[in-house]
Amino acid sequence: MNIYVTGIGCVSSIGNNVIDNIKSLREKITGLKKPIFFDSKYASEFYFGEVNIDNSSLIKELGLKNEKGLTRTDLLSMKAFDEAVRCANLSEKEISSIDTAFISASTVGGMCMTDQLYNDANLISNTKDFLSSYSCSAHTMKICKKYQMKGISDTINTACSSSANSIMFGSKLIRSGLVKRAIVGGVDSLAKYTVNGFNSLQILSKDRCTPFDINRKGLNIGEGAAYLIIESEDVIKDKTCLAKISGYGNSNDAFHASSMSDNAIGITKAIINAIDIAGIKPDDIDYINAHGTGTLNNDFVELVGLKNVFNNNIPPFSSTKSYTGHTLGAAGAIEGIYSIFSLLHGELYPNLNFKTPIPDFNLSPITKNIQNANIKFVMSNSYGFSGNCTSLIFERINNVY
Amino acid sequence: MFIKDTIAISPQNTYNNDIFSSTIKQLYGNKFLAIEPEYTGIIKPNQLRRMGRSLRMGIGCALPLLRNYCNVDGIIIGSSEGGLEDCIKFLNQIKDYEEGMLTPTNFVQSTPNALAGQLALLTSNNSYNTTHVHKGLAFENALIDAKILLLENKVKRLLVGGVEEISNYNFNIEKSAGQFKDKECSSSQLIYSNTKGTVCGEGSTMFILESLTGNNNIKINDIQTITFPTEEELHNTAINILKRNNLKIDHIDILIFGMNGDIRSDYFYYRMMEQLFVNQSVLMYKNLVGEYPTSSAFALYLAYNILLKQYVPKDIIFRQEAKLKYNNILIYNHYKGIQHSFILVTKENC
Repeated sequence: MNIYVTGIGCVSSIGNNVIDNIKSLREKITGLKKPIFFDSKYASEFYFGEVNIDNSSLIKELGLKNEKGLTRTDLLSMKAFDEAVRCANLSEKEISSIDTAFISASTVGGMCMTDQLYNDANLISNTKDFLSSYSCSAHTMKICKKYQMKGISDTINTACSSSANSIMFGSKLIRSGLVKRAIVGGVDSLAKYTVNGFNSLQILSKDRCTPFDINRKGLNIGEGAAYLIIESEDVIKDKTCLAKISGYGNSNDAFHASSMSDNAIGITKAIINAIDIAGIKPDDIDYINAHGTGTLNNDFVELVGLKNVFNNNIPPFSSTKSYTGHTLGAAGAIEGIYSIFSLLHGELYPNLNFKTPIPDFNLSPITKNIQNANIKFVMSNSYGFSGNCTSLIFERINNVY
Repeated sequence: MFIKDTIAISPQNTYNNDIFSSTIKQLYGNKFLAIEPEYTGIIKPNQLRRMGRSLRMGIGCALPLLRNYCNVDGIIIGSSEGGLEDCIKFLNQIKDYEEGMLTPTNFVQSTPNALAGQLALLTSNNSYNTTHVHKGLAFENALIDAKILLLENKVKRLLVGGVEEISNYNFNIEKSAGQFKDKECSSSQLIYSNTKGTVCGEGSTMFILESLTGNNNIKINDIQTITFPTEEELHNTAINILKRNNLKIDHIDILIFGMNGDIRSDYFYYRMMEQLFVNQSVLMYKNLVGEYPTSSAFALYLAYNILLKQYVPKDIIFRQEAKLKYNNILIYNHYKGIQHSFILVTKENC
């Protein structure tokens, strides 16, 4: 059964909507800067991919003035969700239907309100507004409530591959016949919690990240949200379809809680599984939107994995985290949407800040915007702590381009 | 999909023990804490010292299963909150040391996918691996995920489970939100308390699920979830799950319902048993383990054991109807009256 993408919505540090994201990718405008809204000791020390809109403006834009307990995670997810359902022209009835699944993802959830959570957890808070706002699932529940969604709803947390897995699970739900359509994606917002966590692991870069460069110094944390409306071929009728989801693969690296194995077992297996499900050959992949966080470990091991699968014919690849930073639980969905941009517009987006390849491989990512590229299959990789590796394959729809 | 085996750590004596052979443990308080084993031979002492409770309870149940049934083709965990104690310990460090240099152990262990990752690591398992964290449906989504994976016909055997821990901090947050009773409560009074709130429970329940029938023929026939339903939609969902599996209401021998003693939301269960299922025995289970988001995993553990042993302990009987043989059990649970689920479990006759 074919699974079609009929709507997309996204918000990231390079744009508050789909159009602005494409524009920044084309014009090589990075979103990595010293944050304006994020309050942390590290705000002045590191670069972040902060979404360029504050919470009260988001509340106003979403028309949510009277609601209490909304976190930035909730607001970013609602913004991207609304854009996606508008793009797919889904009616309220279709959104709330038992045949529609909603599969979201997040790693930090409402813990972006780190100080408020500290107060609530230690019983020193003077408000009860945020008591049900902290869980990873809180934003999903709020959107379910807003739209009175009755069907299968889920929140996945496999660390930094979370929303790649929500796209995969939604696709499987459709393919199995359990639902006709699914709204899939994820969200994360900047949080002291994750910034301090990644800092304690010493993998944050003080400069803008340089994925796949020999002198890479670590990652920049970003924030954002992205959702895709995916529908079974049985219900799309004459809708405009943006792409097909052809393949997905999930594997655990089973090596270490916070780093990847030198021989890239999980990465390799996830890619092979995705190619297998898509029913294509490695040669058919025309472009890879890499995980490419910019850490010493990730970029090296990802290239080992690509070598394992593609040998010396590695397709053109780049990491768009050089624009957005690592948006954690939102990364798989944001980069899935960027992969769809590539299919829709026949263009490949460059890896910013790259200068010198890693000597072991001598492989360079794309560094220029490539137009009029004839690409049919794009692979998007996502890897998370605890060994969670997922690869997705998006396919061009012939009649569109 | 068929249940091949299960192990549980719960506030009852379930570990290395037949829950039905010993008497049910009476509990008192506002937290029903799990009885943890020594983990000897399962987790190394130096690792155990640094491990949060949900992680060690999860490994304590899952690792023996993974060792007995080697080569599982996937590890799927449902856990609403994961390692909460670790999470808030790290949070407290951030605050107390004003974002100074912190140690990463708590951070790495606090992510809910740490358990599935550790299990893969401990058994060198590179197969499908995921973690569902959707509150009161986290375990149900793990089951749905498993069902699809087994139907794809490429895999034969999975480890699927649910785990939740009580942490002081989470207890504080949920208590402030009015989830728990003001006064302490005994397990025998809980369901009949007629007051607001419930008691906080915890536990880890792990299953080996297979696509082909084993010796005991106990099958999870179906799982259905619904969120924000009207009562009519809820009752229709119950009827539909039976219809879909060619069953009539009278074919259901036992209902396992998730009453938790909270007067504000137990009425869903009472109306269901009064209006829809009038001739069935109704069993309760939260008097044994308290309320937590993945507690339906424990209800499934009970269903499996009842069908296997054809025996129902008296402490879990809420309403009794005589039956000679138990073949079909319907589990109905909801979390805070918002997330509802049905799990249909059947003993197939050979």
